[in-house]
Amino acid sequence: MMITDLVAPEAIIPALKVNSKKQALQELAARAAELTGQNDRAIFEVLLRREKLGTTAVGYGVAIPHGKLQKLDKIFGLFARLDRPIDFEAMDGQPVDLVFLLLAPEGAGADHLKALARIARLLRDQDIANKLRASRDAQAIYSVLALPPATVP
Amino acid sequence: MASLDSVSLAILLGAILVMAGILSSLLALRFGAPLLLVFLFIGMLAGDSGPGGLTFSDVQNTYLVGSAALALILFDGGLKTRFQSIRTVLAPSMVLATLGVLLTALVTAPVAKYALDLNWTEALLIGAVVASTDAAAVFLLVHAQGLRLRPRVGATLEAESGTNDPFAVFLTLMLVELISVGDSSIWHVVLEFLRESMLGGIVGVIGGRLVVVALNRVALPQGLHAPFVTTAALVIFGVAQISHASGFLAVYLAGIIIGNRPTRAHNSVVTFLDAATWLAQIVMFVLLGLLVSPYRLLDSVVPAVVVALVLMLVARPLAVFLCLAPFPFNWREKLFIAWTGLRGAVAIFLASIPMLVGLSKAYLYFDVAFVVVIISLLLQGWTLAPAARLLHVALPRADRGPRRVELDLPGQLEQQLVGYAVRPMSLFLRRGLIPSWSKPTLVIRNEKILTPAEADPITAGDYLYLLAPPEKAEALDRFFVDMQPMASPDPHLLGDFLVSGEITLGDIAQIYGISVDPTAGQLTLADYFDVHLDHAPKEGAVLPLDTIVLVARNISEGRVNAVGLRLPEDEEKLPPLTRMGAFRQKAAKAWSSVAGT
Repeated sequence: MMITDLVAPEAIIPALKVNSKKQALQELAARAAELTGQNDRAIFEVLLRREKLGTTAVGYGVAIPHGKLQKLDKIFGLFARLDRPIDFEAMDGQPVDLVFLLLAPEGAGADHLKALARIARLLRDQDIANKLRASRDAQAIYSVLALPPATVP
Repeated sequence: MASLDSVSLAILLGAILVMAGILSSLLALRFGAPLLLVFLFIGMLAGDSGPGGLTFSDVQNTYLVGSAALALILFDGGLKTRFQSIRTVLAPSMVLATLGVLLTALVTAPVAKYALDLNWTEALLIGAVVASTDAAAVFLLVHAQGLRLRPRVGATLEAESGTNDPFAVFLTLMLVELISVGDSSIWHVVLEFLRESMLGGIVGVIGGRLVVVALNRVALPQGLHAPFVTTAALVIFGVAQISHASGFLAVYLAGIIIGNRPTRAHNSVVTFLDAATWLAQIVMFVLLGLLVSPYRLLDSVVPAVVVALVLMLVARPLAVFLCLAPFPFNWREKLFIAWTGLRGAVAIFLASIPMLVGLSKAYLYFDVAFVVVIISLLLQGWTLAPAARLLHVALPRADRGPRRVELDLPGQLEQQLVGYAVRPMSLFLRRGLIPSWSKPTLVIRNEKILTPAEADPITAGDYLYLLAPPEKAEALDRFFVDMQPMASPDPHLLGDFLVSGEITLGDIAQIYGISVDPTAGQLTLADYFDVHLDHAPKEGAVLPLDTIVLVARNISEGRVNAVGLRLPEDEEKLPPLTRMGAFRQKAAKAWSSVAGT
C-alpha cells in the first residue's frame, strides 16, 4: 500500500495556521468535509471521540487523528503541515507540526488498521518527517509522501 | 481514696500494656513475626497465668471495646478502599463473603462435633465463629510485610474480609440465640439475615453521604475534621446496631463512600484513622490476650488444633474453590486466596459473645477460637509473603513510586498541593515535562521557600510543590521518578498509538472495527491485562486483542494505565539486513533469552 493511495494531491495543506488542538481538528474536519462531501460537524465529533480515549499524537511532533465515518465510500487521508507547532497533548510533550488525518468507512476493518499502521511508521521516520517539514508547497510534500516504501528503512 | 488509687492504677497498667504493645512492634518487624500475635502474647504475659498476674475477666467491657475497635478497623478499611479497584471484584468477593463463610462453617462443623464432642448446633457455632477472615489481619499483615499483591487478588481479599465479618457476626448471633432460646425456623433465619444486611446497607450508605455533606458544608475548626469522622463512624455503627441492622456492614460501606468522594481534610482524616486503627488493634488484642487463661486452654488444645487444621487445609480451600469457580481466577490465585484466610480478632471477639450471654460451654468456644487464631496467624501469617511469591501473585518491589507529599487546601476540594523531591534523572528535570492539569506553585531550596519564577531553573535536590486534582496526584509520580537509562526501544514494539488503561474494550472495538467478546465489552484495558495475563504486568507486556496487539506502556500500583496499540501491517517490508545489522539482531535475541525479558 502506498501512502499516495490514501491521500490525493489536493488533500495536502502545506501551511495550516491554527493555535490549538481543537482548532486544528476543526480546520481539518472542515477541509475533509469539502473534499468528501460529508458533514464537517460529524467528522469533528468522530475525531474528538477518538481523542477522548488518548491523544493521537504519536511523538516526535506528529499526530494522526483518525476515526470511522458511516457514509464514507473509501478510506480518506488528509495531510497538513502546521505553520506553527501546537500542543497536541503528546506523551513526549513535543508540540506537533505534522498532522495526518485518516477517515475510514464503517466496514473498512483491516484496511483501516493497515493504513493507520503504514502512516504511523512512515511519519516516525525522522528523515521523512524532516523532509516534510522542509517542504514549502503541496507538490513538494506530495512527492515526499510518494517516495516508494522500499527506501524507508 | 483507695478507689481513686485503683483507677489511677488501672490507667497506669493499661497504658503500660498498650505501650508495650507499640514497642513490641519493633521486635516483630525485625523478626517478621505477625504483629497481632505479639500483641496477643503481651496480653497473655500480663494476664493471670503469666508473670503479670493481672486477673481480668470482664467480658462485658471486652465486648464493648472489641465492638468499637472492630467498627473503627472496618471503617478504616472501607475508607482506604478505592471503589474503582474493587468494582471488578465485587461479585466474587460478595460470594466469598456470604456463601464462602457459610460453606466454611458447614465443613468445619462436623469436625468440631466429633473432636470436641458437641451437638450439631454447638458445632455449627464453632464453625461460624472461625469462619470469617479477619479484615484487620488481612489488611495489616499484607501491608506490614511490604507485600504488594496483584490488584485483583488483593482487592478480592480486602473486599471479602471487609464484608464477611458482618455475615459471620450475624451467623454467630443467630446460633447463640438458637442455643439459648431454642427453636427457630430456617425462614426466620433467612429473613432476619436479609433484613439485617439490607438495613445495615441503607444505614451505611445514608450515614456515609451525610458525613460527606457535613464535612463539606460545616466549617469545623481546623483539626476537628478527623475526630468528627471517627465519631460519626461510631454513631453510624450504633444507629445500625440499635435498629437491629448490621452495624459492621454499615460502617464498612460508610467508609467506602466517604473515602471515594472528594471531602475536606481527606488526608488528615486518613492519617488520624490510621493511628486510631493501630490503637484499636493493640487494645483489642491485648484485652483478648488478658481474657484467655492458658492453663484452661491446655484442656482443649488438641481438638482445637484439629479444628484449625481442617479449617485451613480443607474447609477454606474448598469454599474458595467452589465460590470462585464461575470467576476468571487461575488456580494459583485461588490457592493464595484460600491460604490468606487469616483469622484474627473477629473470631475471638465472636467467641466472647457466648460468654457474654452465658452459654454453658462458653469457655470452650472461646478457647477453640483462640487456638485457631494463633495457629492461623502463625502458620498463614508467617508464610504469607513466601506463598505470594511462590504463587506469582506478588508484584515486584521495584516499581515503587517516589515519595509524594499530599496537602489539603482549605476552602476548596478540586485541587491539593502535591510535593516531590526533584530527582536528577526524572522526566521533569531531563525534559522539563509536566502535565497541563498541574501547576508548579512553590519550590523549597536550602530551606528557603521560592516561587517557581524565583527558583528558575529548578535543579536536582529542590522540592517542588504542585497544585493538582487529588484523583490525578498519582499520575504525577511518573514525572518525578528517576528514569531508567535505556536505549530507546523500537517504537514499533511499543505500539503505534497510546490510549489510557481506563477505556473499555468496547471503545477500542468500535473505533478500530475489531471484534471482541460481547461480554468483555465493558472491561477496561487495565482489567483485561489483569484478567488475561498470568503474572503481574511489566512494562512492555503484550496481549493480543483480535488483530491488534496491546502493549503495557505504563504501570502504576500494579495496574496498566497506558496502553500502546500495535496495529497489524501485512506487507512487513524489512530492509535487507546488512552483516552488522544481522549480528546486532542475533546478539539482542541472545541477550533477551538470557535476561529473560
